[in-house]
Amino acid sequence: MLLNKKGSGARWRVRPDGPDKVTGKLAYLTDMTAPDMLIGRVLRSPHAHARITAIRTEHAAALDGVHAVITHKDVPGLNRFGIAHPDQPVLCEDRVRYVGDAVAAVAADTLEIAEHALRLIEVDYEPLPIVEDAEYALTDEAPQLHPQGNLLHRNGFQRGDIAAGFDSCAHVVEETYYTPRQMHTYMETEGGLFIPGEDGRLTVYSPTQHGFMDRMQLARILAIPQSEIRIVSSPIGGSFGGKDELNVQPYGALLARITKRPVKLHNSRWESVRAGLKRHPMKITMKTGVDDSGRLIAHQVRIIADTGPYATLGAEVLNFAVEHVIGPYRYEHLDVEGFSVYTNNGMSGEFRGFGGNQAIFALEGQFDRLAEKLGMDPWELRLRNMRRSDDPGPFDQPIALTEGAKQVSAAMTSSPLWQERSNPAAKAAQDEPWIRTGIGAAFTMHGAGLGFGIPDPAGGRLTLAADGKIEAVFGYEEFGQGLIASLEQMLIEQFGFASGDIRIVIGDTDIVPESGSTTASRATSMMWKSLQNLRPLFEDAVLGKAADILQLPASRLRFGEGGVYAIEASPEPDNPKCLMTYPALAAACWEPVTSSTQFHFPTSDTQKVGAHFLYTYSAVAVKVEVNQLTGRVRVLHQYHAVAAGPVINPQGFLGQIEGGSSMAIGFALTEDAVMSGGQYLTKNLDTYLVPTIAEHRGTIDVQPIEELPEEDNYGPRGIGEVGSVTLAPAIAAAIYDAVGVRVTKLPIDSELLLAQSFDSFLDKAVSGE
Amino acid sequence: MAANAQGVAEAPFVWHPATAEEAWQLKATLGAEGVFTAGGTLLRTQWESGLAAMPNHLIDIGAIQELHGPRTDSEIGTVCFGAMTTLSEIRTSPLVNASFPLLTEAARSIAAPSIRNLATIGGNVLSIVGDSIPALLVYDPVLHWHDGSSGLEESLSEWLSTAAVHPVWKERLLLSVALTPPTLNSNTKRFVAYHKVGRRDAFTPSVVTAAFSIQLDSDNRLGDVRLALGGGQTIPHRLETVEQFLTGKPADKKTITEVYSMILEHYEPKGDAFVPVSYRKKAAANLIASELWKAAK
Repeated sequence: MLLNKKGSGARWRVRPDGPDKVTGKLAYLTDMTAPDMLIGRVLRSPHAHARITAIRTEHAAALDGVHAVITHKDVPGLNRFGIAHPDQPVLCEDRVRYVGDAVAAVAADTLEIAEHALRLIEVDYEPLPIVEDAEYALTDEAPQLHPQGNLLHRNGFQRGDIAAGFDSCAHVVEETYYTPRQMHTYMETEGGLFIPGEDGRLTVYSPTQHGFMDRMQLARILAIPQSEIRIVSSPIGGSFGGKDELNVQPYGALLARITKRPVKLHNSRWESVRAGLKRHPMKITMKTGVDDSGRLIAHQVRIIADTGPYATLGAEVLNFAVEHVIGPYRYEHLDVEGFSVYTNNGMSGEFRGFGGNQAIFALEGQFDRLAEKLGMDPWELRLRNMRRSDDPGPFDQPIALTEGAKQVSAAMTSSPLWQERSNPAAKAAQDEPWIRTGIGAAFTMHGAGLGFGIPDPAGGRLTLAADGKIEAVFGYEEFGQGLIASLEQMLIEQFGFASGDIRIVIGDTDIVPESGSTTASRATSMMWKSLQNLRPLFEDAVLGKAADILQLPASRLRFGEGGVYAIEASPEPDNPKCLMTYPALAAACWEPVTSSTQFHFPTSDTQKVGAHFLYTYSAVAVKVEVNQLTGRVRVLHQYHAVAAGPVINPQGFLGQIEGGSSMAIGFALTEDAVMSGGQYLTKNLDTYLVPTIAEHRGTIDVQPIEELPEEDNYGPRGIGEVGSVTLAPAIAAAIYDAVGVRVTKLPIDSELLLAQSFDSFLDKAVSGE
Repeated sequence: MAANAQGVAEAPFVWHPATAEEAWQLKATLGAEGVFTAGGTLLRTQWESGLAAMPNHLIDIGAIQELHGPRTDSEIGTVCFGAMTTLSEIRTSPLVNASFPLLTEAARSIAAPSIRNLATIGGNVLSIVGDSIPALLVYDPVLHWHDGSSGLEESLSEWLSTAAVHPVWKERLLLSVALTPPTLNSNTKRFVAYHKVGRRDAFTPSVVTAAFSIQLDSDNRLGDVRLALGGGQTIPHRLETVEQFLTGKPADKKTITEVYSMILEHYEPKGDAFVPVSYRKKAAANLIASELWKAAK
């Protein structure tokens, strides 16, 4: 059954954080102010690559209303940051490597004074030759951006004998695919409020996807113990991976510590574009061969990822792409190699889909081209080569077994949208012959969690608090995805609490346990698993207390709305009596009753770093309209079959698939942060074009497949990213179906889709002929 | 840039003249220090991007009554749009839609509703590349200026031909844009169309903007041909060569094919980092040809 409000019945709940968000009442962290606060601003490099020969701050420091001007000399600890590999300077010493590089920062009474102070800072630069192209960066003549060279990371996977494999192929397709530098374009740009306490501690109110990681990195920069820093990190006005890494936090923290005053920073959209992360542009060359029955024999892939000037998670994104260019298919011979390369372009980093978007666009494109060579239906070719349920994963690693691949394929191929393909109804409208429609599809398995070899802790805590609230405490973040709503729904449905019984506490390192990052489609799975672990513990603890007080056996008690109830002999009465309310129970206990759990995200028994254990499967069909007068593409109808285990929160599930697909429409049709000479040409949202509501006129059907094998105890799989990874190749296939043009580069160049001449339309009945 | 003694930026001083004469006097006195502002939507983007510095003085012309709203001269049907008429007013006006349907369509395609509530027809015209201009050009518009003396009238086409290179008009105040609806000859049918093609479907800078208006008589002959193209940094203009060619021609395959080729040959748009000239030419030719095709069908 398709997922929608009507079919979800009472499970379709109003989001607890919804009303305040849609009415604008909610204060985000970047809306906060403090009495006596200063405004911080960062001076960034105008050059994509230059040597710094001098920095003079005297004039800026002398300006009335300026309270601090800082440079690299004012960083007491490690002058570097980066989640996986800290190589990005907080404040550059002697060299800048991109136009967002920070050279100095100021704190002043007003924004205007801070801006003027930036203009008074004198920096002498000696421009250096720049590295714009990632393939050029790998050559010997390219300027070397780091002591170890321009290669951040290399990864690959081989099986069999690739040359012999191609020798035995009946058909081979070789193609190069290009994907754009997509921007997260969160509505709330980076920012925060940084407050030094009288006790010497620093409180940071700034959005991030992993408060404890920020705390660790800031402690390293400030050279103070982590316990001296408190990170408050939710609610967040959108992140999509873009706020996982540090952004303004180092400057706010340094300025607040030095001035001993609260400091606020909030990037303009211009500064956000210039300094912030983007999706890695990738060039993916694939050579894929089949025998004459369509069986895959050999698959060779070379990935070049432009990671920009510093590492952040560039290596991890590449690992993910290497895994997903193999995907859910069986090959005899494999040869995949990938390179993540430093350049003087903008920073690339974590972004919803995490290298999967690029990989899957290329891989699925190969199947459509091979099918054409074979004269075979493209989906039939996929089915012929699709993984079996007990096959190992892409890296030959053991994975959690499910029937997901088969299930989503069966659902998609029986969908009315895909069935419409066989309907011979005209593809072109009679009154506008230049409007043509087409239908295409694509398939994926998308990994969740950080993968083997990367610390991926999880956990949480339930407490019957002193005021009688059931407190659910997790180290996860709410950035709009509906984490609070999903957690509340699980507590209601699994434990029997009422909404009013619950208090959810997240996003504050002084309070929450380390639950790992809110990334990689992992948070809902980990909250579900935590609650599975916590339920017997919390029942023992709380119902045990109730049993003592009520003089009843604990085995006859249960949680319910508002308090503890007796488990009645069936049938239960319609109005069961609450034996003791939670506030009464809390009052009768001497102290809060707490249960907690700590565990690790499940990983595969492998040695391949980044290999996943849990996957979400998805098959997507899409109908597009191509206007051959203008080359513009409209997405008319989407169908997503998603096998991700039980639907925890129907509204959240639908929202994630719809939201992910919205980003995929941008990835496919409109979005690219264009750079030239290391400078952004798209500096703002007037040239960087995210899809508007006009691009979303089409309907989206979402078919969740909840069934898991009986012995599976991993519960719901991640859905935060999968909606964003499969649509682009399906759109490319639909365009081919409509107008016979193969797309290899995203966003799609409208000029390719223009009619070659107007003559073909003239044949359609012009009167007077 | 307005700044204090230390050089720190300050908000400009905003003047609110009540008459066109007063506004013009202020501009004459302030010179380059003073800038006329209506909706201010374009100025703000220029300040933000660094294309223009925020001036010391803004001359807000919003309080000048004669600049507001469309006024009809019932004798010949000419409608005078005060420069302060907002794009939202144009977008929703039944009068505009009845007489100048292409202008309604153009207003619908510019920016987004909240911006159209502020942005004015005067500002869109004076941007030189505004998306209302191809639609306006179809209606032979005349610009009325206050220049401190008796006033000045010139056709929009004439002004556009030199506006980018001779910015003398920046010293004047645009009062209104006057349009005359085309008359329909007996036994003819009029076909009109406005297209704006961007890199996305809404709230987008134009890549190709085309306005089209023709009459077809009972013998399938074309007359009163008015075609205008623009988009991006291309200064919009009428396609006079193509218009002359089409006048009197039958609406048939041969004519459509020839017009398509003529546009490819004669239309010279400007390209940018996002969309090349080749696309703009082909899309423009396609759009005009498709409208002829519809008329001929």
